[in-house]
Amino acid sequence: MSKGSFVYKIYNAGPLILLYYLCISEVDTNLEKIFEIFTLNFQIILIFYWVIKRPDIMANGHIFVAGLVNDVVMGFPLGISSLSYLIIIFVGTYVRNKSVNTTIASDWFTFLMAMILSNLLFFSLLNNFSELGFSYIKIGYNMFFTLFMFPIFWLLFNIYQITFLGSRDA
Amino acid sequence: MSVSRDDFSIAFRSALLQRGGAQKFSVLSLIFLALLIFFLDVYGVKFTKPIRGFLNDVVYRVSFLASTPTRFFPQAGKEISSFFNLKKENEKLKAEIEKYKSLQLNVEFLSDENKNLQKILETEYLNKNLTNIVLAKVLVDKNSPFLKSIIINKGTRTGILKGMPVTKDNYLVGRVVETNYLSSRVLLLNDLNSRIPVTLDQGAQAILSGNGTVNPILEYLPEGYEIVSEVNVFASGKDGIFSPGTPIGKTNDDGKINLFIDPNQLSFVTVNISQQKKDGF
Repeated sequence: MSKGSFVYKIYNAGPLILLYYLCISEVDTNLEKIFEIFTLNFQIILIFYWVIKRPDIMANGHIFVAGLVNDVVMGFPLGISSLSYLIIIFVGTYVRNKSVNTTIASDWFTFLMAMILSNLLFFSLLNNFSELGFSYIKIGYNMFFTLFMFPIFWLLFNIYQITFLGSRDA
Repeated sequence: MSVSRDDFSIAFRSALLQRGGAQKFSVLSLIFLALLIFFLDVYGVKFTKPIRGFLNDVVYRVSFLASTPTRFFPQAGKEISSFFNLKKENEKLKAEIEKYKSLQLNVEFLSDENKNLQKILETEYLNKNLTNIVLAKVLVDKNSPFLKSIIINKGTRTGILKGMPVTKDNYLVGRVVETNYLSSRVLLLNDLNSRIPVTLDQGAQAILSGNGTVNPILEYLPEGYEIVSEVNVFASGKDGIFSPGTPIGKTNDDGKINLFIDPNQLSFVTVNISQQKKDGF
């Protein structure tokens, strides 16, 4: 498929469109209705994978705006999700700069670091600067399932990348 | 050693400051911008409130439109299945109508008797305040592991204020916690931040606390009080916000509350704006 073709551009924008759609629509990846403790922060998996593999299709500015939209829809103080996503970008870009070749295992481990840093900042700010209360058990479940599901989405995104975008890495 | 430290600082700086290609903004500049927006929003500087309100109204509308396909398909599925059950449902409804016709006479008699008794006791008729009701549509019902809230399509333009009680079919579902010109956010009873003074069938007073699950719990019950199942829970109205006697739910075997209205299945709700107007809420 030619890189200049319209269809290729659509495929290229696919992850970004998905990120915006997840942030703005009612669609969520929290399957609490089916399995009470199953909650998942899909957005950070999406951002981390594509920042590591193809940063050219996940522009920082778009991720920042998607974070703001997410804050409005979820009722969080403005900017807090953007900050958390930017930490994911920062760790992802750092790992990308430092490594020559990455594997699913190394990505999984660095994703854990990124997620811990990002959630630490997110909940510290929320705890200190807003009146919102939250359950630490739920945060734990959310982090566990996000980490647990990462390799599955890594494989799915990898298939998407190989099938529609034509290369493993930029 | 020094080489690896150099590598670290180069990679670190590059991750923070790198621009070019698709990246028009560096991560560091966006982090500063996000922090600025965050603190402006948290400390509620005067000019940020209308901007946030406008932003909320726009994003909620777009969110409603973006969610239309996800609402359409489950609804279409329900419509098709109900079409095939029409005959059966018709017979069931006919039988129910007969049952309710006989009950209606009883209800009329009891409500007249109730009004007369209230006149004798010189108490206010409980539903007197329910004349000024605003019907609102649920725009966004995004499930979050941390916040249980919905967005409705009515805001300050229709007189909705922060704190007003929100009901569905006269059952309490939550209260308004954020208002914009054209929309409002409703905190549901099962949210971790929700606390409602309630009264139980037997007259015991308690606080209904959301715990993030569909079944809120009762706190601050009288000492030695044992929760049994099937006890009705009503808003006590002691906070001056909720109408006293608004039904909320029933206790279950685990001592938790089964809400009369499933907080995950809300499409239209009503906001009682009369009481707050009167009290200058």
